[in-house]
Amino acid sequence: MGKDYILEIKGLVTSFNTESGRINAVEDITFKLKKGKSLGLVGESGCGKSVTALSILRLIPKPAGNINSGEVLFKNNDLLKINPDEMHKIRGSKIAMIFQEPMTALNPVHKIGKQITEMLDLHKPEMTKNEKNKKALDLLNKVGIPDPERRLNEYPHQLSGGIRQRVMIAMALSCDPEVLIADEPTTALDVTIQAQILDLIKVLQKENNMSIIFITHDLGVIAQMCEDVVVMYAGKIAEIAPVTELFKNPMHPYTKGLLESIPKLDNIPKTKLNTIKGVVPALNELPKGCRFQNRCPYVMDICKNDPPVFIVKNNHKASCFLLQGKFRNE
Amino acid sequence: MQTYFIRRLLLIIPTFLGITLLVFTITRLVPGGPIERIIMQVQQMNAAERGSRINFTKTNQSQPLSDDQLNQLKKYYGFDKPIFVSYFIWLGKILTGDFGNSTRYYDPVLTMIVERMPISLYFGFFSLIIIYSICIPLGIIKAIKHKTIIDNSTSVIVFIGYAIPGWVIGILLLLLFAAKFEIFPLGGFTSDNFFDLNFFHKILDILWHTALPLFSYVFGSFAVLTFLMKNTLMDNLASDFVRTAMSKGLTFKSAIFKHALRNSLIPIATGFGNNISIILTGSFLIETVFNINGMGLLGYESIVDRDYPVVMGILVISSLLFLTGNILSDICVAIVDPRVQFK
Repeated sequence: MGKDYILEIKGLVTSFNTESGRINAVEDITFKLKKGKSLGLVGESGCGKSVTALSILRLIPKPAGNINSGEVLFKNNDLLKINPDEMHKIRGSKIAMIFQEPMTALNPVHKIGKQITEMLDLHKPEMTKNEKNKKALDLLNKVGIPDPERRLNEYPHQLSGGIRQRVMIAMALSCDPEVLIADEPTTALDVTIQAQILDLIKVLQKENNMSIIFITHDLGVIAQMCEDVVVMYAGKIAEIAPVTELFKNPMHPYTKGLLESIPKLDNIPKTKLNTIKGVVPALNELPKGCRFQNRCPYVMDICKNDPPVFIVKNNHKASCFLLQGKFRNE
Repeated sequence: MQTYFIRRLLLIIPTFLGITLLVFTITRLVPGGPIERIIMQVQQMNAAERGSRINFTKTNQSQPLSDDQLNQLKKYYGFDKPIFVSYFIWLGKILTGDFGNSTRYYDPVLTMIVERMPISLYFGFFSLIIIYSICIPLGIIKAIKHKTIIDNSTSVIVFIGYAIPGWVIGILLLLLFAAKFEIFPLGGFTSDNFFDLNFFHKILDILWHTALPLFSYVFGSFAVLTFLMKNTLMDNLASDFVRTAMSKGLTFKSAIFKHALRNSLIPIATGFGNNISIILTGSFLIETVFNINGMGLLGYESIVDRDYPVVMGILVISSLLFLTGNILSDICVAIVDPRVQFK
């Protein structure tokens, strides 16, 4: 791993036991996160974005879920191999996470202040109670919550969704983590609040020189937030590219479909939006070969085989047989 | 919050009036009662006399009392007035603390109830402690060890207890541990020489006598609370805020005890206040099996004997306890769940 990178995921496979047998929620996920930069993880619901994120922190619900193989290298240290106590020390303090649903992600029976200082209790035991309370107040100020003294003594149900997500961010940032995993942090919020939260995350990233994995299904958010993008489809990576390259020069038919389905300002009003036909196959009935074949407009016979990864450009890779002959294999 | 509870307390009054008026009316409408019993007693006495004097001429068998005597009796028991009038007379007495006398034993009702209360309190208090101190830890263990041998085997035991009536367990225990193996006594609450024992031996004597009935009382009560605990805890373990807690770096254990457990106690708190009625608990079947003179037996016999002052006396106390128990439950819920705000 180069010194520019802080986190590298190699060949990650995570599976779940279901009533119809063992299924792989993600397969062969490989990407790197640059220090101080943002990486977007984009794809439809159920494509394995969240499972990838939870695998990094080893938060896959047991015993149903299991990480079968792969490496998660955090500063050259494989997080999948270290013992649980070391993992507890990394969670929250080195790698923090914020979740999609601010309404349910906070414990309803504890005060906001307590939930923030709990993080400090765990990772900064040397701080006194007063210091912790002061730090919690500073954090609430930092994430732009008005009247923070009062908020500290309130319960989650007394706050709005946007404020709760700010509390989640304050909590995640309390120990100055090096990596922040944001799992659809703005999906449950309305657009104005979404813009505020995104700006906030960006500002805080610059201040703390934090690396961010940004999970979303919103390409607009990706364009605004991220330097690199990983496009996932049905548990596998379809395409990886720097953000401008991806928007300018998409290679995988799925990425193209996604970009085409964004409404544009110069479209004729009231025309139908472009969509990708069909639905994502269920993970227990995936087609053999390329997983996008049943929806792909360019499907060929060869797609019944597993598509290799082609290197389009430096840092731009895609996994599709259309690229065969034009670009070299990985 | 305060106004809510004041309103709830005031609501006790109409509810209480409704309950007592209903039962009072029923006692007037069902056949049987003190007058019928006296008629029967007189008949039996006549029959006994006839038995000694064999060749006595036939008298009117169906009604040994004269109308005048009947009216006197009706007046004595207050049956000569309409239901509402006698209800309000009864209510007025209750308000001054006069529960009346038993029509069967002619003892004051209140003393009859108070005499039995220690037994009910004893069983109620100990079953309460046993049930909660087994169900809550067991529910937690079952939730964490879901679908393991520990979980499945305890489920079987708990459901067996739930399915078998307490008095059947009582009889089985008596057969096994009192008749076959003579480890425990056959019944009663204390030994014959109880008053000669010192304090420590008195306690041991009571425990020895009550071990089997206590087991019969609690064995069937584990299922509901254990599974309530297990299922709510499992719901909470799968919740987002426990995942958040884990992502902060808490161990699974502290995530359970600091985050999931408190939320899981909310549904259990909902029924906690009703434990106040332990003062009157008692199952007449178990009390009959073990020959214990408790509240269950008193209630049952008073109904069978149509001993209405006792029936009404127990009803007054139990309905008041139950109504305040509901309010106590509300307070318990408000304590554990900050989202609950009564207005």
